[in-house]
Amino acid sequence: MNEVTSMLLRRMRAPFLLLICVYSISILGMVLIPGVDDDGNVWHMSIFHAFYFVSYTATTIGFGEIPYTLTDAQRLWAIIIVYTSVTSWFYALGKIITLIQDKTFSAAIVRSRFSRNVTKINRPFYLICGFGETGSALVKALTEEHLHTVVIEKDPVNLSELKLNELLMYVPSFAGDASNPEHLELAGIKHKMCRGVIAVTASDNINLKIAITSKLLHPDVPVVCRSEYKEDEENMLSFGTNYIVNPFDTFAGIFEMAMHSPSLHLIYDWLTGVPNTKLTDPVYFKRGHWILCGFGRFGKVLFKHLRDHDLSITIIDPDKDLLTEFRKDPENEPYDFIIGHGTDTETLTQAGMIDAAGIIAGADNDSNNLSIIMTAKAINQDVFIVARQNLLINHKLYDATHAHLIMRHREMLARKIRVIFLAPLLLKFLKLAKKQDPEWANITISRLSATASESRPHLWSVFINQDQTPAIAMALSHGRKINIGHITQDPAANDTKLNCVPLLLIRDDQEILLPEDDIEIKAFDQILFCGTRDIKLTMRWTLNVKRSLNYVMTLTEEPESYIWRKLYRYFNKLERRKTPR
Amino acid sequence: MNLEKVIFSFFMILALTLNFGFFYGTVDQADHHNIYELFAVIVVNLIATVLKFGDRSQMGAMLLATSLVAVVQLVSAAIVWTFAVHVQSTGLTPAAVSTIVSLSGGAVLANIISVILLMIEAAMLRH
Repeated sequence: MNEVTSMLLRRMRAPFLLLICVYSISILGMVLIPGVDDDGNVWHMSIFHAFYFVSYTATTIGFGEIPYTLTDAQRLWAIIIVYTSVTSWFYALGKIITLIQDKTFSAAIVRSRFSRNVTKINRPFYLICGFGETGSALVKALTEEHLHTVVIEKDPVNLSELKLNELLMYVPSFAGDASNPEHLELAGIKHKMCRGVIAVTASDNINLKIAITSKLLHPDVPVVCRSEYKEDEENMLSFGTNYIVNPFDTFAGIFEMAMHSPSLHLIYDWLTGVPNTKLTDPVYFKRGHWILCGFGRFGKVLFKHLRDHDLSITIIDPDKDLLTEFRKDPENEPYDFIIGHGTDTETLTQAGMIDAAGIIAGADNDSNNLSIIMTAKAINQDVFIVARQNLLINHKLYDATHAHLIMRHREMLARKIRVIFLAPLLLKFLKLAKKQDPEWANITISRLSATASESRPHLWSVFINQDQTPAIAMALSHGRKINIGHITQDPAANDTKLNCVPLLLIRDDQEILLPEDDIEIKAFDQILFCGTRDIKLTMRWTLNVKRSLNYVMTLTEEPESYIWRKLYRYFNKLERRKTPR
Repeated sequence: MNLEKVIFSFFMILALTLNFGFFYGTVDQADHHNIYELFAVIVVNLIATVLKFGDRSQMGAMLLATSLVAVVQLVSAAIVWTFAVHVQSTGLTPAAVSTIVSLSGGAVLANIISVILLMIEAAMLRH
């Protein structure tokens, strides 16, 4: 039996028993006490009438003395009925109200409602553990793609925000402990429609626990874990966590792209961002002398990248232990390390701020970072600024500094996880893109900007098979040759191209970046496109409908019905298309 | 001795005995079936049902189910009685009486099952 009903029944046992007793005694009394009818004859109430009388008296409705006026003996009994039955009802109602206000009871209701909502999900969904800033950004992104999500979060305050947010879909949520396997099970970790578990709580330890639970309870489901420490990462990998997102490594990757070429960074930013948001401008990375404030986890990762690019670097950090650790590595010989915060003009000037090309404000404290940026700008107007934002509430402040690159790690992680689930091909594309030269990135970005016009493009993958692209699969099985150029043709308009860019084609182990129009499509190819949502929908015609496919391939309208087809062929003196199977 | 068990068993067995008492007699003879006995059967059965509320064991669920069956049967019998006497005003015809008695017969069966279950439970607990 359900937890809630059983609790309700158990608590209501006493009031129900009392009511039954009071009613039965009252009815019996009413039946036994003789009354008088209108003609003065002795009259006994039947059980039916007595029940009627007690019912309207006990509930304080009081229709009166029906069918005949009561005798005094009956009235005496009626008085007793009124006081006992009405108080019993109050007692029963009071019990119900106490039960409703009971914390355990309402928790049981919330729990069972959540569990019911999760169980009845009949579409693929993602389980998001932790509704912090990353979690909420992810929920927003996934619901915008019409994907179901379920949220489990420890802090009820954060969850109430979920209910206030205007999301496109209903998101079942539960204030529970994600490190408790029972709660995860309740949230649907074993549900057959669960397509992914995303562990983005603030603690590495809990994320680790979620990954373990998920791999034990539902081994096939991909798990994405957020981690900030290398040791935890190795631990997570050891039992098959599918993706690990580390904010520092992710940002280092973005930083590396910006160093490589502004266009590459722009490609990343446009393609991974939320579709239909405004396009960003390129950032031009500067070579020369760099100042790195804060040598924590963030600073260390960036330092490695700067060092690999042979830039001159000065580090500023208040921690002396870090300096001794830094000096142990002989490779660090040529770099300066100044003890200080970097928030004052003196330290910054000493670090060579006046001629510096760039500064990284990478402390784990927002006021220090903001102060570093302000001081640095006062000394050197044109310096390239990289800032690390720690708390979401400081978003506006960081925007106001006009820093060139801002590490907002929650948003960044949300972006990365979104790509992992929504456009896994994009990860491959970006990996290949990093290996190309800056010239390639420039050409690509110009093609992208031609399609994108003003807002971030939409990405979609086409998988050539019987289910997803029936028209193409059929044509291919007939031995027809279809090129990329055919599917990027508009099936509705005369000889126009669809405004989209094929980014990547994957065939077995072969990966073709930006496949040209003349590249032939084979069965089981995976192609990543970018364009607008409308274009995606238009392209579906070509992929699914034979007639549209015929049109884009021949640019003529061909008849569909059997007789017209025969006649058409006869008059145009065409032969039947060869159908080798 | 467990007072809860005593009360519980008392009501269950009383429900059966009263029910049988009402049921016993010629099926269509109104004189053989007392209305107060039917009233008492219904009240005792209701109490027996409520006593089973909130028991989460398998046995508890079975007992609740049999009691509910008995209550449904008996309440239908009472409704038939009310209809015959008050609504249609035909009085207790042999047809009406036999309907009422056979309905209560069904309730006897359900109550017997209840008591058997109770006996099984008692036999299983050997302490």
